[in-house]
Order: sequence, then C-alpha cells, then structure tokens
Amino acid sequence: MSTAPRSRPSSLAIVGWLVAAAIGIVLAAWVVLHAGTIWNSFFPPEAKSVEGQEIRNLYDIVFIFAVVIFAVVEGLIIWSVIRYHRKPGDDDLPPQTHGNNLAEITWTLIPTVIVLFLFVVSWQTLNSVEAVSPDPGLKVRAVAGQFQWSFDYLPADADGNTKALFTVTAPVGPDGGLVLPAGEVTHLYLKSPDVIHAFYVPQFLFKRDVVPGLINQFDLDIPASDAGQTYRGQCAELCGVGHRIMLFEVHAVSPADFKTWMDKQIAAANATPPPAPSGAAAGPSIPLVAQNVKFDQTTLTAPASGFTIHYDNRDNGTPHDFVVLDNGGAKVYGSPTITGPKVADFPVPPIPAGTYKFECSIHPTLMFGTLTVQ
Amino acid sequence: MATTTLTPAASAYRTGLYEWLTTTDHKKIGILYIVNSFIFFFIGGLFALGVRTELAQPGLQFVHDELLYNQLFTMHGTVMIFLFIIPMLVGFGNYVAPLQIGAPDMAFPRINALSFWMLPLAGILLLMGFLTGGAAQAGWTSYSPLAQDRPLASTGPGEDLWIMALLLIGTSSILGGINFLVTIFKMRAPGMTMFRMPILVWTVLVTSVLVVMATPVLTSALIMLFIDRNYGGHFFDPGGPNGGGGSAILWQNVFWFYSHPAVYIMVLPAMGMISEILPVFSRKPLFGYKAFVFATAGIGALGFSVWAHHMFTTGQVFLPFFSLMTFLIAVPTGVKMFNWIFTLFRGKLTFSTPLLFALGFLSMFLIGGINGAFSAAVPVDFALQDTYWVVAHLHYVLFGGSVFGVMAGLYYWFPKMTGRMLNETLGKVQFVLMFVGFNLTFFPMHQLGLAGMPRRIADYASDAGWNDLNLAATIGGFTIAASTLPLIWNVFSSLRAGKPAGDDPWEANTLEWATSSPPPPYNFDHLPEIRSERPLFDLRHGRTVVH
Repeated sequence: MSTAPRSRPSSLAIVGWLVAAAIGIVLAAWVVLHAGTIWNSFFPPEAKSVEGQEIRNLYDIVFIFAVVIFAVVEGLIIWSVIRYHRKPGDDDLPPQTHGNNLAEITWTLIPTVIVLFLFVVSWQTLNSVEAVSPDPGLKVRAVAGQFQWSFDYLPADADGNTKALFTVTAPVGPDGGLVLPAGEVTHLYLKSPDVIHAFYVPQFLFKRDVVPGLINQFDLDIPASDAGQTYRGQCAELCGVGHRIMLFEVHAVSPADFKTWMDKQIAAANATPPPAPSGAAAGPSIPLVAQNVKFDQTTLTAPASGFTIHYDNRDNGTPHDFVVLDNGGAKVYGSPTITGPKVADFPVPPIPAGTYKFECSIHPTLMFGTLTVQ
Repeated sequence: MATTTLTPAASAYRTGLYEWLTTTDHKKIGILYIVNSFIFFFIGGLFALGVRTELAQPGLQFVHDELLYNQLFTMHGTVMIFLFIIPMLVGFGNYVAPLQIGAPDMAFPRINALSFWMLPLAGILLLMGFLTGGAAQAGWTSYSPLAQDRPLASTGPGEDLWIMALLLIGTSSILGGINFLVTIFKMRAPGMTMFRMPILVWTVLVTSVLVVMATPVLTSALIMLFIDRNYGGHFFDPGGPNGGGGSAILWQNVFWFYSHPAVYIMVLPAMGMISEILPVFSRKPLFGYKAFVFATAGIGALGFSVWAHHMFTTGQVFLPFFSLMTFLIAVPTGVKMFNWIFTLFRGKLTFSTPLLFALGFLSMFLIGGINGAFSAAVPVDFALQDTYWVVAHLHYVLFGGSVFGVMAGLYYWFPKMTGRMLNETLGKVQFVLMFVGFNLTFFPMHQLGLAGMPRRIADYASDAGWNDLNLAATIGGFTIAASTLPLIWNVFSSLRAGKPAGDDPWEANTLEWATSSPPPPYNFDHLPEIRSERPLFDLRHGRTVVH
C-alpha cells in the first residue's frame, strides 16, 4: 500500500463536499425562486392603522441598522476564519497583540452613537403611538375573560368603568367582532375579570396587555380608505388552557355604515326584552350543572320534540353557556351567557334525531359532552 | 508532571459510588453538576420535541390534552433554565475556576456539595408535578393570577411543587455564589492578582455578584406566591371571585428583577469559556483583556436596570428609561464581540471542535444581540412581544450563545476532566448537525413572530400562513435532537478508548493545564510563576519557571 500524500482529500471528503454543494445549489435556486416571499417575511404585515404605520417605519429603520451591523460583524468573523488558518507544521507564533486603545475606543463610541440614535427615534415614535386624542370619535371597552372577548360600546363621556350602551358578545363572525369606524379615532379601554390577556392585532403591529385590577387604554386610528376590511386578532398573553381559542375580529366600516350599525344596536339594547320563556316550555326539563369549569354530565339524552336545559352555573363570577353543535361543527342551538352563581332554563327547539356535541362556548376545551337526540 | 499525593489509606474507604455521593472535591462536584445538567438537558429537550411535534402542522395531532401542552412548554423552559444552563455553567465554574486561580479547592467544600445535591432534589420535586395531577402550566414566568390556585388557573399541587423546586434551586445558587466570591477573593495563588485572572474567572465573579444580589428577590417572590396560593396572601392577586387587592404587575417586577440578570447569569460564564478557547486556538492573547473585564462588569451593572423591558406591553412601565438602558447594554456586549473577533484576526487558527463551537457562539450570539435591538425599540416591541420573534431571540441568546459555549467548553475541558480526548470527527459531525438544526429551528421563528404567531399556543389556523415555517422549525428540532447522539456516543466511547490527553493537549495558557489530567486531589504539586494572565504561555516560552 502506497502512502498517499496527507494533503490529498479522501474520497469520503469529496463525496461530502459534493453533497454539500448539491444542497447549496438546491437551496440557492429555491431562494431565488421565492425571493419576494422570503424578503417580505422579514417584515411585519402591511400596517392597517395609523399607529401601526409609524411602528412599521421605525421597524424599517432598525432593520437597516441590523442588516448592516450583521453584515459587517459576520463578515469580519468569516473573513478571519477563512484568512487566518494555521498551516500544518507551522509552529511560529503570530504577533502577540494585546490590544489597541484607538480601536477599542472606536468600537465603544460608534455603537454608543448608533444605539443613542435608535433610542431617540424610537422614543419619538413611542410618544406618537402613545398619544391619546382628547376627543376620540368612539370609546370601546374590550373585555377579555377566560376564554372569550366581548366589546362594550361606551357613551362619549365615559371612562373605563362606565356602563356600556350595548355589548357585542360574539368575538368573531359577521354579527360579532369589534366594529370600528374607519377614518375616526377610537379610544380603547382594556379590562379583564380574571387573568392577564393581551389585545393583539398583527396588522396593527400593536398589542397591549389586559391586566386584571387595572384598565389599560390606547388610541386606534384606522385610515378611512380601509373601510370594509376585516382583521384577525388574538390573545397574546398565556391565559390558560383556552389561550389559543381567544380569537377576535376587527371590522373596519365607513362612518355612515358605523352609525347605522350603532343605532341599530342601541335600539335593540333599549327595546323591552321579550318576556322570559315561561317554565312551561315544550318538552322535559334536563338538569345540567356547571361547576369548577366542568359539566357534571358528559352524556345527555333528549327527545327530538324539544326539551329544556335546567342550567345551574355554580362558578362564582365565571360566565358559561350551553351550545349544541352538529357533526360538522355548525351551531344548532346557543343559549345566552349566564354568570354564576345563577340558574336558568334554556328551552331548546325541536331538532332532528341524531348525535350532537354540546359545550360551553367560552370553555370548549374543558366543558363538552355528547347529546343524543331520539 | 504532577503526581497523585493521595495516601492509600485515604482512598481505600472512599471508592466508587460512595466517593461520588460524599465527595467535597470541587472537581468531582463540578462533574456531578455537568452530568446532572446534561440529564436535565435531555429531559427538557424531550418536552421541546413534544411541543414542536404538536406544532408541525395545524390541528391537534400529538398532544390532545391542551393542559398537558401548557405543562410541556412550562417544564421545558423551567428545566432548561434552572436545571440545565445555570447549573451547567456553575459546574464548569466549579471545575475550572479553582484550578485557574491555583487554588486547592473551593473555599467551602461541604457547602459546595450541599449546593449541588439540592439540584437533583429540586428536579425530582419539579417533575413530580406530572404524577400529582399535572405539572405547573403557567409558563416558566408563572405570571399571576394565572399561577394562583383557582379554577382555569393553576389548581393542584403542580404549581406549588414548581415554587418549592425553584426555592431550592435559588438557595443552591445563593450558596454557590457566595462560595465562588470567597474562593476568588481569598484563595488565589501567589502572583495571581485580579488583573491576571483568566477571563472565565472574571465572568464567574461577576455572575456570582449577580446571583447574590438578584436571587434573594426571586426566592422572596416565590414565598409570597406560595402564601398567595395557600394562605390567601393577595400579594399578586388583584381580584377574582374572592376579592384581592394585590397586584399582577408586582409579580412581573420582582420576577424579572431576578430573571433578567439571570439571562446574564446564563450567558456570562459561557462568554468566559469562549474567551479561554478563542485565544488558545488562535495562538494569541485575548484582544483587550482589561476592556473585556470592564465590559463584563458593565453588563453586570446595566443588567440590573433593564428588567422591565420584558413588560413593555403591560402599560405600567416607565418606557423611555428601560428602553434607553436596554439599548445601552448593547455597547459593552459589542465591545466583547469585537475583542473576540480581533483575537482571531491575524491569528493562526486551528479548527478543532472547541473552536468550531466558539465560532458558532460568535455568529449566533451576534444574531441574538441584534434581534434584541428590535425589542429595545419600544414601539417595535409592541408588535413583537409575546410572539415567536421573542422565542427566536431568546434561543439565539441562550442556545446559540450559552449552549454552543457549553459545547465548546465540554470539548475543551473534557481532556482535563478525564485524561482522554473526545473524538474530533464525531465532534465535527455534532457541530454541523447542531448548527444546521439550530438555525432551521429558530430562524423561521423570527418570520413566524413577524407574521403574528403568538407564543404558547397548541394550535393555529391552517390559513394563517404559518404552516411551512412551523414544519421547518419542527424538522430543525429533530435535527438538534439527532445532534446529541454523536455527542453521547463520543463521550462514552472516548471515556473507554479516547486518545490520552496528557497535561496540556491544546498548548493552553491557564493554570489548569499545568497539572495532570485529571488533576490530583487538591490540584497542584507545583505551580509555575504567575507573571501575566497567561502563566503557561510564559512558562512554555521560557519567561518563567516552575517552583
């Protein structure tokens, strides 16, 4: 066996380099083909509020500095690594440089100037984002409870604790969500009855915690041109087992549409409530107890001709409801929400025989069961 | 060079398991710390794999019980921070720092053993939550009122066990911190002045100051939370069904008053480790030794004034002050980065595994520092806080920084600890897998966070546009898991049949390489003269002699 020169790479190493090169080429091709998508993924979504646009401008400034600093420093690292190999058998010491005061002062001062600049521009944006209009067009209180959002619309002279004109209890869907007039400033109050939540709409580039025991507030200004748009929002602070289901929608509508909608909601809230259904509702009464965020039964059986749920919410201060879903997840019946301790009768109209799921829509991950209709 | 001075009588009755259970030798305790930390690294890693498996696709496929999901990420964070990174670095400090200052042991050897043995106990307490109806599930930050004992929050003993485990770990840290301070101040060898101490010793010193000043705040807060939960204390409970009067924000202030300095507790010793490794493998001194020391002290001091940058979105913080201090802490960090790079500059680099991991530290910590600047700009933080951006940021600091530093340190000091070299090929395979897997896992999290994906959710809408990036992160997570296999194989095979190391396999600079591998009890028979921060370099080049 001849002794190959030590410097010739082994066939294993050649295969390794070839594989690495192939992976590199595939990756490079993929990056080129998706360049636009990849570039956009380094930025937040297009901002849909005036405050969000200012935050986006600030993000772009910080991003430019970040990319330049990364390129310079990473470039220095890579260059040093490529340039300064120790060759085999080279036992000489390189120059034993212990430091250089001028260089060290330079790389202390330049970053100081950069971070002070970034601080000042971000402070300016902060003051603008945090500014509160003395005369907002609308005041809304978003209430975040485990695990559902509701939106209290407040009178013009309200503070965070004023009684609502009316409340939107469904956080999503065409009849629910946070409906806001585009082109007007909305002042939002945030209130939590239980744990900390956070109001977060990615397209506003903004979030604010909803802290029990205090009321946070901020202004939200959606440009008039965005009327008709819907934005998704979501709780951003871990609030328990149902954290991920705390979704909501923001509907931006034109001021005229908003006025029509608001008048209709106020009229509905002021209308004399229909007489409470008497105890003589059709069908038998089925008792169901909600306690410690659990139902006492996970299987119910009821006649197809209609029945009444005798609902006993024993959880002090916690809202529950009773919802029936079919196999496809569509809502067949939904009761009003009651906050414990309270007992109520929910008359359920006749529904076709079959197997359904029942749940508390506020705590669907914890309170659910099977309803068999015969 | 040095020979074992143990008398036969002393070793006869202290062998094997009994010796390891009762030892007060700082080297053995250091190894115990390191082994224990690696065990918890694997446990915490399994929790992370559970989380990543669930998030690979939209829909609930793997962890069907969402309470269990919350327990998984809570335990992942708690185990990795309190039972892996912090004790791992304490372990390296324990092993190396007394050797590097020429001391025979730590100042209080029995307290040293006590500090260690609290940790496995704490780990068992913490994990017992899974057997008692559910482990803690309020996140590793354990925000009140979610951590309170009430429905939909944290009922059951899991959270109490979490509190007790952290109390034990905190006590262990405080004892360890005092032990390090006394050792470093009082037990340095003749000639080892403060400004001749190796950088690792400096970082352990500053870390110990942080531990001693910050940890009592955490332990106090934990006791208050325990009183809240069990005796109706209402420190951190603002209301709820039974009334309250406490403050949810107060918990965040005291928790982060410890837990932000804890970030530096978790990264400063790793910085110290690569500051030992880069000069050795460049064959140059550390560039700007004194500037590096002052930057370390500066980070430690500034570290106490930035805690509320974790709370920018609470609406209850004096934002400009904490924003300014957070930006400023980039300056001493930048100084260190340039010192490291200019240590490489014009050096003669040998690309052994310790240097590869140290270079990985530089590149990844750079990203973790730069993406921190986004969060220091308060309005940008309003967009990024509590999204996957933050998960990316903290992992670039704590994994890209600390874990790569730990791996560099392991390959560097394993020969000293065991007398045997780790295998270089396996080390390089591990490095490549870990580096690729790490970036594949955590880089996409920046983009997920920008796209609006919140942390700590078990599922997401399939039309949110987050599917591909989540799948990439999950593949990366399993790549990281795969990278630990060559590590485990390497450690076990090298312990049996690794190349003998000799006293000083790396041509290193500091005193631990002046004694045998592994060193004898009480470390040194002879010490070289100490006339600079590189006593072995001086000795090798004939500037000093061994007495």
